[in-house]
Amino acid sequence: MSQRVFITGYGIITSLGKNATENLHALVHRKAGYGELSVLDTIHRTTLPACEVKIHDQQLYTSVGVTADIGFTRTTLLGLMALQEAIKMAGLSEEEVKSSGLLSATTNGGIREFEKYYYELMDPEQRGDFVRFTDTANPGEHCERMADFIGIKKYIGTISTACSSSANTLMQGAQLIKYKKLDRVICGGAEALSKFTINGFNSLMILDPEHCRPFDSTRKGLNLGEGAAYIVLESEEAIARSGKTPIAELKGYGNANDAFHQTASSPDGKGAFLAMEQALSMAGISPEEVDYINAHGTATENNDLSEGLGIQRLFGEQVPDFSSTKPYTGHTLAAAGSVEAIYCLMALQQQKVWPNLNFKNQMPELSITPVQQLKENKVLRNVLSNSFGFGGNTSSLLLVSV
Amino acid sequence: MSEQPVHYYINGIGILSPQKTFDNNSFLTEITSYDQNVLRCITPEFKDYINPIQLRRLNRMLRIGLTAATICMRDAKVQSPDGIITGTGYGFLDETAKFLRELLEQQEKQLTPTYFMQSTYNALAGLIALSVKCMGYNNTYVSKGLAFENVLDDAILRLRENKDHNFLIGAFDEAAEVQYLASIRASHFKTEHIQNLDLFKTTTKGSIQGEGAAFFMLSGKASDTTWCILRDMQFVYNPSNAEVVTESITSFLAANNTTLQDIDLWIDGASGDVEYDRIMNTLSETLFKEVYHVRFKHLCGESCTASSFALWLGASILKHQQVPEILKVDKERDLSGLKSVLIVNQYMNKNFSFFLLKHI
Repeated sequence: MSQRVFITGYGIITSLGKNATENLHALVHRKAGYGELSVLDTIHRTTLPACEVKIHDQQLYTSVGVTADIGFTRTTLLGLMALQEAIKMAGLSEEEVKSSGLLSATTNGGIREFEKYYYELMDPEQRGDFVRFTDTANPGEHCERMADFIGIKKYIGTISTACSSSANTLMQGAQLIKYKKLDRVICGGAEALSKFTINGFNSLMILDPEHCRPFDSTRKGLNLGEGAAYIVLESEEAIARSGKTPIAELKGYGNANDAFHQTASSPDGKGAFLAMEQALSMAGISPEEVDYINAHGTATENNDLSEGLGIQRLFGEQVPDFSSTKPYTGHTLAAAGSVEAIYCLMALQQQKVWPNLNFKNQMPELSITPVQQLKENKVLRNVLSNSFGFGGNTSSLLLVSV
Repeated sequence: MSEQPVHYYINGIGILSPQKTFDNNSFLTEITSYDQNVLRCITPEFKDYINPIQLRRLNRMLRIGLTAATICMRDAKVQSPDGIITGTGYGFLDETAKFLRELLEQQEKQLTPTYFMQSTYNALAGLIALSVKCMGYNNTYVSKGLAFENVLDDAILRLRENKDHNFLIGAFDEAAEVQYLASIRASHFKTEHIQNLDLFKTTTKGSIQGEGAAFFMLSGKASDTTWCILRDMQFVYNPSNAEVVTESITSFLAANNTTLQDIDLWIDGASGDVEYDRIMNTLSETLFKEVYHVRFKHLCGESCTASSFALWLGASILKHQQVPEILKVDKERDLSGLKSVLIVNQYMNKNFSFFLLKHI
């Protein structure tokens, strides 16, 4: 008999705030996380809007409880902030943490530090403090660092499927619980802004010099953000043992590939459609029963059209409320899936639908319009969270209230 | 949902490595030796596997990876799998570095996106999906020395949902210059020049750098192309000592109704690094004292996903019922009727994994 998968805690840090409470407050009060880049040093700091966590690494070290610089990358530090909050919310004992799995997502690991010390690192004759960052070009490094710091030994893994990465950690975490390989898995992602990512996306010409406008006909691209978000998944057996009241159930998930283009989504949204359809079918829930979709909605021309058509194809005439929260946080890449899954959990807890900020103009290709004002007292039971990425990866999670 | 498979079948393999391994009809009949500490892939004519328009656009590792995947699919006679899962330690690090260098040298100005696009870790899994129009499950793990192990766990759980499915699973890592330069300071690689075939004669810190791409068609159902059975796989993260690893192996075997006496041969993931090999050396002197012993990292070099080379090796030994001389540590003994192979791999003495293979 396979196990049902429940959520018992989460932790989050984004440009909206350093914990769940601050993030919720910003969502409710339409406070977006934009501002000139001041922590990261880049020539684009004033020209490209981005959603940066305005906390320097040194303060993050203090917050996570480390007294000296021991070579944690910003990705690791942001990750630890969210991880510690998730563990606390789920009320996990030291023993429970030790026997948990950790699945983390990143697109670049510690490239921010690797680019900073690149010339020193590339000269084997040089010695100095920078050697702490020797392995930061490795994407799995942050996960080992976090696991070692919080004491997880049981099971670890790092996933990188571009912008759908952390949605896939939740999916695989659920699989490990469903088939009784583990009782408890902490899943999510961490992403620090870097010159590498900003310039990478800028070279692809998909960064909007203004605030992003998902599903708007004038959309010009995305804005980048940083942050981390982790979610504690536990088996129904573990819940029964501890008597905890779960926050929600992760009832369905789908993963497909668009198989269309290396960095673009298919024009008909086939991959998006497949991922959402699979998530619903696994949960045995019909499209009419879905109350809200937190869309991937990056505000690139390509994504929103593809995703919008995928949604229309699956839901037909009865498209549920949907919005993209990227105008709040920017695109936090590998962390986006778990950040937005948490916003869905908050929506379920608060019975609120988050607005799609910055929307003004209807896309002529679509018949659907995102929610623009905060909706309160809306009965939410079944919520979908979409995450898509380069390489054709599409993922969708179905979160259900308990 | 079909019944849960008890066994997982390897129904096809494609592997490019620093040895001539791309031809499934031969099994280490010629051995390539290297005079430098970096071992790179021996490649076939890429145009036999990749169409010329596509070929021009791909970086070296994408060519190597797509070729290995194509050989695997042809070997398994599967045109398009039900899902694709890849694992890599460092991904396309040299592409990442090309973009990074441009960015630093040009002060973030006038950058072209090609290197950036081809540096994402899931680029290979996406490319294969695109090439064979596979819209099914697609995932990529980047968990250092456990990346390929995570891939297997994922595929095995997916096959429990449908044992008839074919999952194309694989691993790739390149001998990236960037990784070499950054980590030689910490003696991750040997500072003295050695010949690869002498790796296990050395008593110094560090290994030699290797690379490769290996793909396997894994299914819950046997076919007429089956190489062997993958009975089970398990990994241990950051064990404190050899006892922990010994206990883990013992319980792993017990969980699979196998005793040490059933194991005809064990494949040892020692890397020639005097420090990192400590636990492996203890195992060979204690737990595996009486078990026939082979090693492989002198042939492929060390990389995060070297366990994928070991899996090919184990599958080949069972399929061909033959152990090439170059692998042998022990003196000759009767090796007929090989039924069970155990792989024990380690990466940096921190990531350990065990694979139990059975003859079909």
